[in-house]
Amino acid sequence: MVDLISLILVTLLAGSVATFLAGPRARWVALGVSALFAAEVGLLFLGFPGWPGYSSSLVPGFAESASYSWVHLSWFRVNYTVGVDGISLVLILLTAILQFATILYSWNETKRPAAYFGLVMLTCLGCFGVFVSLDILLFFLFWEAVLVPMFFIIGYWGGPNRRYAALKFFVYTHVASIVMLVGLLALVFYSGATSFDYSSVYAAGRTLPTVTQAFLFLALFFGFGVKFPIVPFHTWLPDAHVEAPTGGSVLLAGLLLKLGGYGLIRWAVFVLPGGFHVDQPVLFFIAFLSIAWGSIVSLAQRDLKRLVAYSSINHMGIVLLAIAVGSSLGLLAAVLLMFAHGIVSALLFMVSGSAHHTFGTRDIASIGGATPTTPALATFAMIGSLASLGLPALIGFPAEFSALLATWDRLGYWVFLPLGILVVTAAFYLWMMQRMFFGPPRGIPVGAHDVPWYEGAGMGILVVFTVLFGVLPGLLVNVILASPIKGFPGT
Amino acid sequence: MFASSFVGPFLPEIVLLAATLVVFLLDVVGVRRLEISGTIGVLGLGIAFLLVLADLQFSPFAALATVPAGQIDLAHPTGLYAFTSLGLVFQLIFLTAAFLVGLASMSRPSGERGAAIFYGLLTLATLGMLLVAIANDLIFLLLSIELVSIATYLLVAYTRSDARSMEAAMKFYIVGALSTTLSFFGASLLFGAYGTTNLAAIEGLGSAGLPTLVLLGYGFLIAGLAFKATLVPFHAWAVDVYDGAPDDVSAFLAGGSKKIGLFAFFLVFLGPILALKASGASILPFGSGPFNVGPVLQIALGAIAVLTMTVGNVLALLQKEMKRMLAYSSISQAGYMLIGVSVGTAPAVAGATLQIFAHVLMKGGAFLVVAAVVGLGVGPLISDWKGLGLKRPFLGVAFSLMLLSLAGVPLTIGFWSKFVLFSSAVEAQGYFVWLAVAGLLNSALSVFYYARVLKVMFFDGPAEPSTAPAPNAALPLGGIGYGRAAAIGLAAALIVAVGVYPQPVLGAIQAAAQHFVAAGA
Repeated sequence: MVDLISLILVTLLAGSVATFLAGPRARWVALGVSALFAAEVGLLFLGFPGWPGYSSSLVPGFAESASYSWVHLSWFRVNYTVGVDGISLVLILLTAILQFATILYSWNETKRPAAYFGLVMLTCLGCFGVFVSLDILLFFLFWEAVLVPMFFIIGYWGGPNRRYAALKFFVYTHVASIVMLVGLLALVFYSGATSFDYSSVYAAGRTLPTVTQAFLFLALFFGFGVKFPIVPFHTWLPDAHVEAPTGGSVLLAGLLLKLGGYGLIRWAVFVLPGGFHVDQPVLFFIAFLSIAWGSIVSLAQRDLKRLVAYSSINHMGIVLLAIAVGSSLGLLAAVLLMFAHGIVSALLFMVSGSAHHTFGTRDIASIGGATPTTPALATFAMIGSLASLGLPALIGFPAEFSALLATWDRLGYWVFLPLGILVVTAAFYLWMMQRMFFGPPRGIPVGAHDVPWYEGAGMGILVVFTVLFGVLPGLLVNVILASPIKGFPGT
Repeated sequence: MFASSFVGPFLPEIVLLAATLVVFLLDVVGVRRLEISGTIGVLGLGIAFLLVLADLQFSPFAALATVPAGQIDLAHPTGLYAFTSLGLVFQLIFLTAAFLVGLASMSRPSGERGAAIFYGLLTLATLGMLLVAIANDLIFLLLSIELVSIATYLLVAYTRSDARSMEAAMKFYIVGALSTTLSFFGASLLFGAYGTTNLAAIEGLGSAGLPTLVLLGYGFLIAGLAFKATLVPFHAWAVDVYDGAPDDVSAFLAGGSKKIGLFAFFLVFLGPILALKASGASILPFGSGPFNVGPVLQIALGAIAVLTMTVGNVLALLQKEMKRMLAYSSISQAGYMLIGVSVGTAPAVAGATLQIFAHVLMKGGAFLVVAAVVGLGVGPLISDWKGLGLKRPFLGVAFSLMLLSLAGVPLTIGFWSKFVLFSSAVEAQGYFVWLAVAGLLNSALSVFYYARVLKVMFFDGPAEPSTAPAPNAALPLGGIGYGRAAAIGLAAALIVAVGVYPQPVLGAIQAAAQHFVAAGA
């Protein structure tokens, strides 16, 4: 029997090829494949209750795993090994939700729709692959495979400065991936692991001397950090996010940034605990820097999309902070935050895209009092902003709360630094709402209309999950804890 | 029987020689049609390919094998030539390059002059390359290289009307003559030191030679062969020649014939360096440590490798013309391949071999696409390719695959070749790790100029309708032609197929490399 994960990979691959070839019916094919993908992810979740105890004997700690030989030479062995644990499962759910929402939202794409939808699906395929890969080379392959479709999405469907943004995105992230690959290879060859499988790397990594671990951890941190993005290697992000089409920004912020966080947890923190411990101060410093820089710069933005982009740097800084804490609660918070940010930033990018469509501008200052004209858009913007600033009962709250709690446990009063910055961010979102959507109407072009049904549907799906997991975060927490996070750092 | 045991193993070479002679004789009697000469040439190359496959004991063809299995990978071959499985793998690589070029050239405008000469010279040069692959004697090796060189000098100039081609041929010839002189001088010094030109014997003698003489001899040989392999600082001719030569010939030079220089590096240096290293021969009287002849040669080759890839990459970044960019990128790729010689372990040799095979497909294929695009009336500048990817999706996608493979993006053959090569350097540890680091930094740098071409092809544009006439407008498939389309499609398909599942190719190369290094050590 073919395992479910490989089946999903095949579904996505065949689906994207079919979408490329479907011509005018591409969007229906894409929607159908996305629905199938979501259903398969649902099946994967159905198997979850049987996990605690980790059913798989193939790769310890992972359920639903499969492994086939790929390239075996005398001095290295590469296998196709896939599997999921709680962390990957949550992020796979995010992938399925965002793919479906993005395709709905972009329903009326007129510029080569078949290619557009095909590339969207390829990007999701790459992200899915990263989340399930349990072999260094397979992981790297999917990691790089995300770049190419995204390069084309930004470069062909993007805004006025898209070519520069696409090239910058590609070069920045590719250089970082290479450093990451060197780090992973060095890990294998220095530790004397016999293969590139996660289980053997996992066993071998912690046997290395602490100094070696610390250096390798830094190399991996750089490689994953550029994707995060960490200040000072973040400058590709505003360009890429702002120039990308809305669907591209959604995938960039919602999924691509998560690759960095996931990689850091899976391949660096778990594998090199000694190095992680030594390098914690560096992580704290960079995290604070990213949080502060992200929010200060977002204060200066007049462009709604740019504002959302910089607030991503800020939020991913909090993710890094939660990881750096290095406790079970911190890692749990980091994964929750990644999920929350994936949903909420996607929603906000969609809002800014719709605002651009209907008002012809994203300039916050030139629009005012838009609620009567576009009530639905105003509602989505409000929900997105409130979720982003951490209102209870929306998904941002449990995530940010546990992150701050974990920080308090470890750092004490330092927690007021991220907390204070969160207040500033909150103020800025509310101020944006006040200027754009409340007060007397101002600068609204004639013929401005509310969001069309497909954009509304795309945002609506995200709102549903924002509320669902905001009210019942336990649904996610239980899944996430079916992973090495439970009891980290352990012995 | 003496006759059959002598003739049999050389069947592929004999087939090529026959093809060459037939094409030239037909030319003499006035039969010069592209279709006829082309078919003979391509058939000859294809048959030779299958025969070599048979010699490597590949299953469906194994029955045709003419080299007795016991004669491959002999421990101490004494003759002028010796069959090694690595040599046979290289014969396959050379034949692939020639076959692709020959197939593509079937799609030239049929009225063009010189078709017969082109195919005759192509098979002749390939014959020389096959001989290089089985050489076991310095003189035999250098003469085989000479055969290739002379055929390729003429190939560059075969149109006889284009002033640029003539200039390129002239440069090629003068530089080639100089490099031959250096090589033979080096060989004569080695003969002085060892009293033999047999490569296996030299290897066996190891430290018996006078260290200074040995070092000088190898120094001159490095210089001479470095010209052929376009290594920095002996690379300057290559860009002008690739740029000035007819496009298909550039594909053959960059993808095919320059690889003989790299294989000659394997033959001449690998075994002796390891033997010298083991023996601890020193150039200093108190003799130890880094001044041993073996490590000195290894470090020198490593330095040339780093220099070559860096200079090639940096200059490629600055180019505005497509062919010149590809030419510089080809120089930088030669630097990667040389890592394999410097490291000298079986994994490294396997990595370099795969890189050479990959380069045949990527760079040879890329020049074939350039020829197709030039045939559509597009100018020589990279910016002239504006919007081509959307207007000509087949060429655009194939060219993108080749460039992505050159950049080392996963799921292409170029990823695996770089991966095996660099990981072998890391695995060898010591100062070789720095070769891997240099290679990785360079491949990161190279992404920039490859991605730029993708950007131009797909995002810039649409191109303004070109005013230049399309020279090949009459050909089928919208001016590309069946033969060229097949060659480009084949190269692109192989890039992806080996990229997705490299085990069969890599496994065969690994086995060959292990035999080769084991025989040398």
